[in-house]
Amino acid sequence: MSPVWAAAVYLLCLATSCVCTGLLMRAYLRGRSRLLLWTALSFACLAINNLMLVFDLVITGPEVDLLAWRQLSAAAAIAVLLYGFIWEAEG
Amino acid sequence: MTSHPVVHAFISGAITFGYVIAGLFFLRFWRRTRDPLFASFAAAFALLAANSALPVMFGIPNEHLGGVYLLRLAAFLLIIAAIVRKNRRRR
Repeated sequence: MSPVWAAAVYLLCLATSCVCTGLLMRAYLRGRSRLLLWTALSFACLAINNLMLVFDLVITGPEVDLLAWRQLSAAAAIAVLLYGFIWEAEG
Repeated sequence: MTSHPVVHAFISGAITFGYVIAGLFFLRFWRRTRDPLFASFAAAFALLAANSALPVMFGIPNEHLGGVYLLRLAAFLLIIAAIVRKNRRRR
């Protein structure tokens, strides 16, 4: 698979994550539901994860490995999302 | 940051499990509300879980190799479709 296609996919994923973050933040500002805030923050971390993928694939060379930062952003996204679901979602 | 393969595999496993749990939460929301947005997000997070697990399980050094990133693409396309469908229904 060509890295160009992979980079295009990651950019699409980045754009989608940013749109989701924006929509969720807008919904939070209207309704002030904390669950929406945590979900928005989660998608922001996913956007950072996708950005790291683009950097790793396209911008940085093989001597720079952003794996740890990619994993950190993905872990942060999941941790924030699960925190919101567990503490803020109504039973 | 240096990355040890075992540490990388451990963190990938944790991230995979996190995606699975998040998907289950979305599935629970769908069961309660029957809103197809939640079903789409549940499926998307299941795909993200697979996207996180497969490179480690099959020894693929980067997800853009071997077409693994297509799982990420499918997940975010599901999210895009769910958002577009939701916005169309609102109008």
